[in-house]
Amino acid sequence: MDAATHEPNPATDPGVAVRPEFDPELRGGLALVGGMFPPTITPDLVDFMRTSYAGPPVADLLEGRRITVCDETFAGHRGDEVVGSVFTADGAVGARPTVLFLHSGGLMFGDRFSGLDRVIDWVERWAVTLVTVEYRLAPEHPDPYAREDCYAALEWLASDADRLDVDPDRIMVAGASAGGGLAAGLALAARDRDGPPVCAQLLDYPMLDDRGRTVSTTQFDGIGVWDRVSNETAWRASLGDRYQTDDVSIYAAPARATDLSGLPPAFIDVGSAEIFRDEAIEYATALWRAGGSAELHVWPGGFHAFDIFAPHATLSRGMIATRDAWVARVLID
Amino acid sequence: MQELLARLTALDTSASMSLRVIACFDELVRGGVNAHALLSAGASMAGSVAGFHDERSGRSMRVGPDGVALPDDAAAPSIERVAHTDDGLTVWIEKSPPLGMNDAMVLERLALGIGLRLGRNPPDGRRGLSSALDPDVPPHVRQQLLVALGLRPNERHRIVCLPLFATWHRHGHMVEDVVNTPFGPIHVAVVPESVIAIEANPCGIGVPMSLDDLDRSFRTAMVCLRLSAPPDVPTVVADDYGGLVELLAASHTAGPLLDVDPLDAIMAHSWGAETLDALVRAGSVRQAARLADVHHSTMQTRIDEIQRTLPFDPMDGIGRTRIGIAYLVWRLQHSTVLVAPPTAEQR
Repeated sequence: MDAATHEPNPATDPGVAVRPEFDPELRGGLALVGGMFPPTITPDLVDFMRTSYAGPPVADLLEGRRITVCDETFAGHRGDEVVGSVFTADGAVGARPTVLFLHSGGLMFGDRFSGLDRVIDWVERWAVTLVTVEYRLAPEHPDPYAREDCYAALEWLASDADRLDVDPDRIMVAGASAGGGLAAGLALAARDRDGPPVCAQLLDYPMLDDRGRTVSTTQFDGIGVWDRVSNETAWRASLGDRYQTDDVSIYAAPARATDLSGLPPAFIDVGSAEIFRDEAIEYATALWRAGGSAELHVWPGGFHAFDIFAPHATLSRGMIATRDAWVARVLID
Repeated sequence: MQELLARLTALDTSASMSLRVIACFDELVRGGVNAHALLSAGASMAGSVAGFHDERSGRSMRVGPDGVALPDDAAAPSIERVAHTDDGLTVWIEKSPPLGMNDAMVLERLALGIGLRLGRNPPDGRRGLSSALDPDVPPHVRQQLLVALGLRPNERHRIVCLPLFATWHRHGHMVEDVVNTPFGPIHVAVVPESVIAIEANPCGIGVPMSLDDLDRSFRTAMVCLRLSAPPDVPTVVADDYGGLVELLAASHTAGPLLDVDPLDAIMAHSWGAETLDALVRAGSVRQAARLADVHHSTMQTRIDEIQRTLPFDPMDGIGRTRIGIAYLVWRLQHSTVLVAPPTAEQR
């Protein structure tokens, strides 16, 4: 086999994973950002990722937009002070449909300004109130810190709705990747604790299952964004010794929930070429089986979070437009 | 993506951004994407509208940095732009001149890609170095390509392979390019035979070869790169392993392999890697203990464990050769040098 021209042939070369190819436009994007987000994240890379995946300065995020942001604090898990940022459209008055957005970053990195570009569009376009949460990160703050900080944020929004321009009957929980898992857990917790009503759950390529038992989990070792090892690093950081045992809460790993009835309508999108493909499909299926409403989109050749890394690509624009259409339908007048 | 580029530059000032731009367009051209996709990638990297006009077909297209097609008012005099025209095909970026270095590279690669898509360039869009390292290209053609790149025909050279995110402490002038491999796009440079170290991390340096055999140097350099393991082993030179590297370069190492798979159990021990490394370098247990910086009896205990684990005796006869080769293949199979950038401490 020569290194220059011959691709490995999965059909004849043992040890080469059989998996969907990445979309060609997305491969170009990967070549460009390669190394900024390594496919395989081990615990020793977490510090690098905290620098590399830090959100942009908020001024950059708001440049050219008619949006005001205000930092607020509320009582998080154990009553500790946690920061939330409230984004409102200039000139919007009164109670607004509200998005509670939980950022990505494998529960270990990222901040409340990471991956906000698409979500912040909704503030300008529909004058929604957008709230993002600086939930606490693992391994310093293992489960349940992150999810209980997020649940506390939901209660804060509902209880302080008037002051925050929040319509308490129209709060959507949303999140990407680890944030998608937190959003799904939040919807479950709000149901089980008789908490504030959640009108919809938007789960972008969500991280739902610590058990790592699907085929897609093992198909992308060492390539793309977020592989099996990265996932194990994240779940171990968050769950510690409970990782893959029976002691993991359904609010931490919503794929473990056996009763998915009584949940708000869900939107789930995922790439066909990422480890979360199968757990996303299974979660949508479980919601349907429980009589719920779910809209599922599997984007062919998409790697994890491709809409963040290559938003200009044709596949990404399709994903973004499809997601926006759902949000408009379930949340906006 | 312009924002991502800016963040990449901020993260790593020594990163070769132009190589990333080249690698990106290489992937797009290899993937056969359409003109719209090429323009949206270029526009996204430049952070401004990109467009083309083809005199032959009369066709024009403009695309914004968000990938959305824009009205075709290419001729509007109010639009400031920097254009690249060749053979009746004009490709541009709508920015006021002069362009920065990244933008100039984006425009050059975009023009090449659009040209290929519209049938302007030869069908083999690969650049000189890529073809010159392809064993399927006849040797005399490879030599001509390398001489055209400025290399002296009667001197031996080495290929150096690096990830695109390698950290350069000093980047001298050399023939270099991005070459596509089964492991993804790789930064490839040609250096004289006498060079056995460069100020970049991580890297693999191949065996010295004449110009018409430089593909062999390339294959050994790839093996060396994958054997490197920063921060402890930032650079591997083929000469350190001689014929073994050539053997590995010619072999199918993807596994499962008879002698290699049992090493997983040994490598799972905290002492596994350093002990095997010492064993294959040393001529005796005592010397291995010195290399691993442990007491002789500790080394003996570990060797006992290894002998219990393996289906052959690594201390005896052909077993010594088997463990040496199995250890190198295991390192190749478990190499992470191409997926993880050097962390701050490793730089």
